[in-house]
Amino acid sequence: MDLRLTERQNMFKKAAAGFVKAEAPSHLITQWFRNKAAFLPDLYRKAAGLGWLGMVIPEEYGGASTSFTDCAVVFEELGRGPLPGPFFSSGVLSALLVLEGASEAQKKSLLPAICSGKSIVIAAITDKGVHWGAEAVETRLTRTTDGLVLDGTKRFVYDAEAATSFICAARMENGEIALVLVDRASPGISITAQVGFMVSVAEVRFDRVRVPISNMLGQAGAGWDILDRALEKALSILCAYQVGACQEIFDFTAEYTRSRVVFGQPIGRFQRVQDHCVELSIHLDAARWVTYETLWKLDSNLPAAASVHEAKAVASDAYYQVCNFSHMVHAGPGTDYGHPLMAHSVMAHTLYQYLGTPLHHKRKMMDVLYPRAKV
Amino acid sequence: MDFSLQADPQEIAAFRKEVRAWLEENMRGSEHLRWSATWSTRENEEEYRFRRNLAGKLGKKGWLFPMFPVEYGGAGLTINHQLVLETELDRYGISLNHVFYTIARIVAPVILKWGSEEQKREFLPPMTHGEVSVWQVLTEPQGGSDVATCHTKAVRDGDHYVVNGQKTMVGHHLPPDFLWTLVCTNPSGPRHENLGWLHIPGNLPGITIQHMYLMMGIKNTVFFDNVRVPAFYLVGGENNGWRVADTHLELEHGGEGRVGTDPLVERVVEYCQQMRVGEKPIMEDPNVRDLIADMMIELHTVSLFARRNFWHRFVREPHPYGGAQFRYYQRMVRLRNGERLQQIMGYDALVPDLTLHEVVDFEYIVRSGPGMLHGGGTLDTDRLVFARRVGLGRPTKEKAPTTI
Repeated sequence: MDLRLTERQNMFKKAAAGFVKAEAPSHLITQWFRNKAAFLPDLYRKAAGLGWLGMVIPEEYGGASTSFTDCAVVFEELGRGPLPGPFFSSGVLSALLVLEGASEAQKKSLLPAICSGKSIVIAAITDKGVHWGAEAVETRLTRTTDGLVLDGTKRFVYDAEAATSFICAARMENGEIALVLVDRASPGISITAQVGFMVSVAEVRFDRVRVPISNMLGQAGAGWDILDRALEKALSILCAYQVGACQEIFDFTAEYTRSRVVFGQPIGRFQRVQDHCVELSIHLDAARWVTYETLWKLDSNLPAAASVHEAKAVASDAYYQVCNFSHMVHAGPGTDYGHPLMAHSVMAHTLYQYLGTPLHHKRKMMDVLYPRAKV
Repeated sequence: MDFSLQADPQEIAAFRKEVRAWLEENMRGSEHLRWSATWSTRENEEEYRFRRNLAGKLGKKGWLFPMFPVEYGGAGLTINHQLVLETELDRYGISLNHVFYTIARIVAPVILKWGSEEQKREFLPPMTHGEVSVWQVLTEPQGGSDVATCHTKAVRDGDHYVVNGQKTMVGHHLPPDFLWTLVCTNPSGPRHENLGWLHIPGNLPGITIQHMYLMMGIKNTVFFDNVRVPAFYLVGGENNGWRVADTHLELEHGGEGRVGTDPLVERVVEYCQQMRVGEKPIMEDPNVRDLIADMMIELHTVSLFARRNFWHRFVREPHPYGGAQFRYYQRMVRLRNGERLQQIMGYDALVPDLTLHEVVDFEYIVRSGPGMLHGGGTLDTDRLVFARRVGLGRPTKEKAPTTI
């Protein structure tokens, strides 16, 4: 047992923290969130230059062959922002989708561009906002004499507006699910931002979009398996991002209890306010340790499927709860869109839904550990 | 990071073999015993004797306090050896803390930190050898969690302190060899600087012990009536009791850490797989599965916090707020799990099943949920300590004391 970060991880952490501080200070981040300008190409390119996209991808495909924990410490710092942009969605999730599901030739052509930031590949999976899972894949994929035709509407696609191409999950005529790579410039694609108490989410409509047959990732019908395999690894990095966000909120909330004076004393002297901070810390640390234990399992090649579901459930719930407890401490000022807490609150609600809610993942965890009888 | 408890470095592998074989030998005859959740909850003479005996045997090898210096009865080993002992005992459902029927597991490290050389040589070996039973005797009827407002007085009289007063809600069903306690040595002194810490032999004249029958099991009230305690038994020096208390309380209040596993979820699942309503086992009921998932996730978090605290303690970098956070959370989880058990099992959750290990006796968990919310200080003291360590509303942060 050793619960310290390695020297290399501390270096990554320091570099990422410095980057967020210099390039994305909290006053700028709140501005971006207010203006719904969540994708900043220059910032993305700079981060790519530092090697933070595709970190866990093997070097032969343009990645850095790092461990998951190495990558996680970087994403923890990005989460402190919370730095918006397709760092995770393209640089981790889609990179792993390609690594897990694509042919050798596809890996060679796609991965280096994802890792360098030249391509931004975004997974467009479900057609419904109400449900995450294979059942919610409705977009149709039809074979024609000279290729494939994609028809349907993906809703709540995270980071869609930044995409240069999509990995789209679609249902084939036999009911099975396939993943296809679709160029954003293909005729028939339209992207509409979805506005609400969320960030970076858009509807992507595929109107009889023609896709070459060579763009299918893996076997036809293997789509959801590929996605499951990629998620089993990728989600741990998203969890780390949420841990960083929780830590940042804990830090500025504790500081606020020192500086904010009402009724003649700093509010941190009120036991009710302390209680909010205790609960906040429990959610933060639950997310932190479940996440890092999961990362350790992934890095040690131990069975991790149940842990990954657990971590996503705990970390997404934690981020949401941590925001709420921080709101209790900050009261009015924390509800101003100019306050850093609001960027987090909006992000927390978005990530609560992204790739499955805590309840969804708790149930998946149970199904992994205690499979239900087949009906 | 490395979370493994059993990935032994090469030089440790032989030690694990040795411990495993030793336990196989020495745990023989324990198969029918049902391990109690704590040493204070149930009268079970046979189990108690077995545990004291086992502690004595572990102690002779220095394994009860493996990281303690050899001259005080430890084995001078490393955190990795400690992990081996903990995880091998865990195979039997017990831990080093747990096999050791007394609070000496906390007292010994405190004496190691605050005792004089002479005191360490006299007090520690009987504890590290597992020979004596020590009670922690802190709560007073008027004080509750406010242990610093101490009414039990110790007046210096030559080479002795004369102790008068009353402590309550302490100990278990069999009398102690020592009472480890806080006394007021200077009634006119300022708060926190008027206290002394005494390690009182249990057989001194003037000590009366009376059982109390509580929700969680047997506890006691201890009366001190002109008990003459040799001044040698004052630990930490004149009026320094509160600093000794600080170390003791940090360990007691979660800083101690733990690496054992909690078998509750396994037992609940077993129950749910066997119990059928109509055709199907209740394990197929989605509501039951959701309740078990929550139980599992929260208990896992409890065990991760405990593991974190264990690691921080033994690398001598105590976590600033980890003890208080763990203790508050663990007790709230226990309370919530009591309710979940009732939701899952109905009336079955209210019936003691003594064929089970008491730690996973469902009735005991339901009953001790509310009962154990305040042992050793209320939830509110945990949150208070948390606030001071994080420095909420304060310019400075209180530091966690270091221990072995």
